[in-house]
Amino acid sequence: MTPLDEDRSGEGSPGSPAEALRVIEQSRAEAERRLQAHPMVFFGPWGAAWLLGFGVMFLRFGPDGRVLVDIPRWLALAVLFALLFAAAGISGFLAARTFRHVRGRSSVQGAMYGFAWMLSFMGMGITLRHFNTLLPDPDLSMLWATVSVGLTAALHMAGGAVFQDRLLFGVGVWLTAVNIGGALLGPGWHNLAISVAGGGGMLLAGVLLWLRGWKPSP
Amino acid sequence: MTVPPNGPPPELDPVIHAQARLRVVAALSTLHDGDLLTFPRLQEILGMTAGNLSVHLRKLEDAGYVDVTKTFSGRTPTTLVRLSGRGRLAFDEYTAAVRALLPPPSN
Repeated sequence: MTPLDEDRSGEGSPGSPAEALRVIEQSRAEAERRLQAHPMVFFGPWGAAWLLGFGVMFLRFGPDGRVLVDIPRWLALAVLFALLFAAAGISGFLAARTFRHVRGRSSVQGAMYGFAWMLSFMGMGITLRHFNTLLPDPDLSMLWATVSVGLTAALHMAGGAVFQDRLLFGVGVWLTAVNIGGALLGPGWHNLAISVAGGGGMLLAGVLLWLRGWKPSP
Repeated sequence: MTVPPNGPPPELDPVIHAQARLRVVAALSTLHDGDLLTFPRLQEILGMTAGNLSVHLRKLEDAGYVDVTKTFSGRTPTTLVRLSGRGRLAFDEYTAAVRALLPPPSN
């Protein structure tokens, strides 16, 4: 039995300096584990949505206007948007469950950051609709994909700067590079790049962090 | 406590030098500046009863180490807790004092 078990009031002192340090480290680790969201909360749903959603887009809107799997145009778009909405809902729910007991500065930052995502994507949707009747299918699909991935990447970098989170910032840099690389390869290939390097990359990063025993940043 | 060979041992703050209050202060020290934690969440992290946690928070509040704010979330009363500037300083000093008391590593 440890001194802690014997002392239910908690008035007893740690038995030694080493014991006191152990108590401090354990309490801090437990608090950090419960007050910070594991990156997989975001990488899991978003990585899966991009891998599958842009994967389906690649099969329907392939390179040089090729249709690799002949599914209806609307179905490919519906699958992508359904997966993106599901990812936003799942990661939002999981993050809110972790952060809802912390009030003050972080909660204001989180609310403003969430609002920035919502508002900028709403603005993107409204403005890009203008081109729906002006551009041919391959270009239109790439316009939506490059702008939405670019916006996602920029918001990740801004989030990294606000929360002093190098991982979040790094993901933004990676997504920017993948977005540019995919755009240079052209319509169709961009979908594949976002699916594999973007979505697959996020899932891989999440799994690696999981296996290595992710520790919250101090 | 082990007495180091050189000089008197550093004083350990009696308010923090109790298992339960040390755990409370250590857990609160992980919050970012300007953040507050709800009482139920702190209780859950520490695995303490509400009564026991209240007693220790009162002692820490009396020493000026924590700020306890009672507010409302809609119609539900909520108690928010955070480490005060003085509490953070006391915790840092306590941690440094404890480290100084550790026996030197044997090579």
